[in-house]
Amino acid sequence: MGRLSAEFWVGTEARSSALLLALIVGLGTLILHYVFGVWGDRIATLLLMSLMGVLALSVFTGNSGIVSFGHTAFMGIGAYVSGILTMPAAVQKGALPSLPDFLAGHELGLAPALAFVLLAGLVAGLVTGLPIARLSGSGASIATLALLIIIHVILVGAREITRGSQTFYGVPNLTTVWVALPLALAFIVVARLFKDMPAGLRLRAARENEVAAAASGVNIFTARYVGWVLSAALAAVAGAIYGHFLSAFSPKDFYFDLMFTMIAMLIVGGMLTVTGAIVGTALITAVIQILRQVESGFDLGFVHIPIIFGLTLVGLGLALLLAIWRRPLGVAGLYELAWPASAGPTAELAAAPPAPPAQGAALEIAGLTKRFGGLVAAEDVSFRVAPGEIVGLIGPNGAGKTTIVNMICGQLQPDAGDAVLDGASLAGQGPSAIARLGLGRTFQAIRLFDRLTVTENIMVAALSVEESPGSARQAVARLLTRLELRSVADQRAGTLAYGPRRRLEIARALALRPRYLLLDEPAAGMNPAETDALVATLSRIRDDFGVGLLVIEHDMRLIMRLCDRIVVVNKGQKIAEGTPEAVRGDEKVIEAYIGRRRERAAA
Amino acid sequence: MTLRTSILAATTLATALAAGAPALAEDFTIGLATAQTGGLAFVDQPSLQGFQLAVEEINANGGLAGKHKIVLDIKDTRSDTAATVQAAQELVAAGVKVLITPCDADPSIAAGQISQPAQIPSFTFCGTTPTIPSAVGDYMFGTYPADNAQAALLADYAVEKGYKTAYVLKSPDTAYTLKLPEYFAEVFQKKGGTIAGEGTYALGQQDFSAEVTKIKGLDPQPDVVMTAAYEPDFPAFIKQLRSAGITSAVLGSDGVDSPTTLGLGSDVDGLVHTTAGFPSEGSGVAAFFEKWKAKTGAAPETIYIATGYEIPFIIDAAVTAAGGATDGPTLRDAIANLKDVPLVTGKVTYAGTNRMPSRDITLVEVRGGARTLVKTATPDPADVPAP
Repeated sequence: MGRLSAEFWVGTEARSSALLLALIVGLGTLILHYVFGVWGDRIATLLLMSLMGVLALSVFTGNSGIVSFGHTAFMGIGAYVSGILTMPAAVQKGALPSLPDFLAGHELGLAPALAFVLLAGLVAGLVTGLPIARLSGSGASIATLALLIIIHVILVGAREITRGSQTFYGVPNLTTVWVALPLALAFIVVARLFKDMPAGLRLRAARENEVAAAASGVNIFTARYVGWVLSAALAAVAGAIYGHFLSAFSPKDFYFDLMFTMIAMLIVGGMLTVTGAIVGTALITAVIQILRQVESGFDLGFVHIPIIFGLTLVGLGLALLLAIWRRPLGVAGLYELAWPASAGPTAELAAAPPAPPAQGAALEIAGLTKRFGGLVAAEDVSFRVAPGEIVGLIGPNGAGKTTIVNMICGQLQPDAGDAVLDGASLAGQGPSAIARLGLGRTFQAIRLFDRLTVTENIMVAALSVEESPGSARQAVARLLTRLELRSVADQRAGTLAYGPRRRLEIARALALRPRYLLLDEPAAGMNPAETDALVATLSRIRDDFGVGLLVIEHDMRLIMRLCDRIVVVNKGQKIAEGTPEAVRGDEKVIEAYIGRRRERAAA
Repeated sequence: MTLRTSILAATTLATALAAGAPALAEDFTIGLATAQTGGLAFVDQPSLQGFQLAVEEINANGGLAGKHKIVLDIKDTRSDTAATVQAAQELVAAGVKVLITPCDADPSIAAGQISQPAQIPSFTFCGTTPTIPSAVGDYMFGTYPADNAQAALLADYAVEKGYKTAYVLKSPDTAYTLKLPEYFAEVFQKKGGTIAGEGTYALGQQDFSAEVTKIKGLDPQPDVVMTAAYEPDFPAFIKQLRSAGITSAVLGSDGVDSPTTLGLGSDVDGLVHTTAGFPSEGSGVAAFFEKWKAKTGAAPETIYIATGYEIPFIIDAAVTAAGGATDGPTLRDAIANLKDVPLVTGKVTYAGTNRMPSRDITLVEVRGGARTLVKTATPDPADVPAP
């Protein structure tokens, strides 16, 4: 239970931000109501309905970065479920004569009907998420498009229940501004809190960098699945409210047109934040409502404006174009509305004892082999890294170093051999499971979650292993101090200079409380002074955390100074292993590696 | 300007915008929540053009029943059902006497849900789904030939021609392409015909080889193939049907009443289809087309201009029958009791119907790139299948 409740933990900033956003939308609605009367209520109802749909969409699309074209299908499901359950029995007999008995004659109120809608949305999300959460990027988007079409065909085909392509009528007109308002406010709070919950944070991490997220212990499928299911359930409720507004609809009302409107709202506002979803919905609604008044023509007394239909659609198109051109991330961009941050006391933390390394255990690489067609990238490579030991893995370009690293981390499955971490075989484990078992890593080309803050970057990994949100926060605070990142803790990772970026990546890997850390060319692109600083940092990490380090590096100076032992590979095979001095004098190494360099230098 | 006055000004402006120009006591405001842009504009636009011309003419003669000038409050629904609901809410709140809804069932029924409780008689511009009035209630009326009436006339014609067996091709994707052939099959069987088979297609499907093979495999070949397909499906289907050597007669609905059909050459020779009206020599439609041409300088592109033109005259007939009364219940009863109102495309009767009018429908035959009149008739209400 402790673990589950930890999943619902959110910081005070997210909570206050959720309240602030809800407050603003609530106030806006009241202003529309008290200033503009019934006319304002109508606009507010449209606005709140759209907002519900856009927020439901943003829970998945905003946090995962995968644009979903399928969400109106869930809205359709919600509308039909609620329509059937609330329909007066007399109307239902005429409209749906062949409705299956278990669905007929319920005449539920809106609240109980919405409970069933939520359930239907959950089920639809659970089923459709199984394939979709496994996909990434545009592949996933295309899959959602296919989903939209499939559900549309099902709605058209289920004639007994939906009247097929014919108008589904008799749905009670239940959507008023006072029904839509509390629901929309609830959606705002849910969407905003989810974004900062562990599940939302993991989903955003996967959006920023899938490989790094997995290496930080994030199960990508689970992260996407959770977001998808929640998003689908919310969309179903939004659809039910939309259905009770229309009171007569057919599957085509939940097809491409509605989808594009919702996506337009999300893109214009900015899909990365809840603020963006609200701003986009409000902006597009305002553009539509103002232009449709203008296009209907009116008399100002001194000048008569004629009817110009089409203005609304032109305006909508222009707004979308302008947004994409001037603000590719939407009007809100990365900005999330929040109370001005109160400079709370920085929790000073006692240095927690590092995880004690298991005695006698080691990271054991045993006979790893990988072939790509005829090319042998790694052949029977074996070596070990003891706790607290720093081992260098070197070799000329194309020697197979990265292949070996990728096999150890689970990104590549070896054709033969195994990596054993303190007695536990890593064979067949995915990158995220291996990360949680205690193997942290950094990447040759730094992989950070660029649009997440420094703190959030580390938090993603900390949440993978820490028992409670509290201990995760402490771990993050400790690492911020240790890696000298405290001053940039609230900056986005993408804005950092090179040095802090490297340190952040290491901090994130250390947040996994790893027993072994794999560093892929940590000094790449550094000047000698920076490299010296890095050597000091890495030595300190070994001393402080007691971790074993496997360092893949080209920089001979760094390797020779830092490592206790060096493993040399060439053409996929281990050709030498030993202390820096021993390796430096090894004939084969000179021939394969250093020798070639000399030749090149001579030439 | 203080905050208070600016809010007041904004409110006033908003109210003025929402309500449109205030109507005089004698005026009769008709609200139009129709699709002037988007997917339905191809039917709602010409309907509105005809509608406006009729209003001009009626007003020139002193207004409805000679005394109520018509004022139009026109709103575009962008072919969006939610926007139609909003427009209907605004028009009903503004106190319109009659509401006009788009040429489609969803927005018409949705808008009808708003006007029905307000007791405002409402017409769909040219929605053909026969369930539109019954789904809404006693204030909702159709005007255009309904799907089931078109189907009944086509079945009558098939029986008259001596066809014994028919193949129907339908698409579940829209109510029109699905129900019209189903209504046809119902009437055709009731009158002694046999359905030799039926096939389905998806809208936009370009390959009809499976359906054509199915028809080709029938022994004996069906006397007639009936479908409510329209472009781009109908041209693809008929080309593939004819090139497979199938010579059965083909019956279509008003969806193929477009110039495209005439461009299909000999493949469509002999095609008989329904239409709301046809400008044959000396007909009311021909006279209207002449008038339209004289007025605008161009021949009408579609029959929807004529059917849109008819609606204000239906309202005029009702107001006249009600002795000039314009309150909702009186007007509703007057419309529901209209009988044999002479209009451009023929006579229209609401009395004794479920508010989808009994009216003349025209059958035309395509040959040599031109249409000729087959007949204009009102299907016997007893033959028209229940929606």
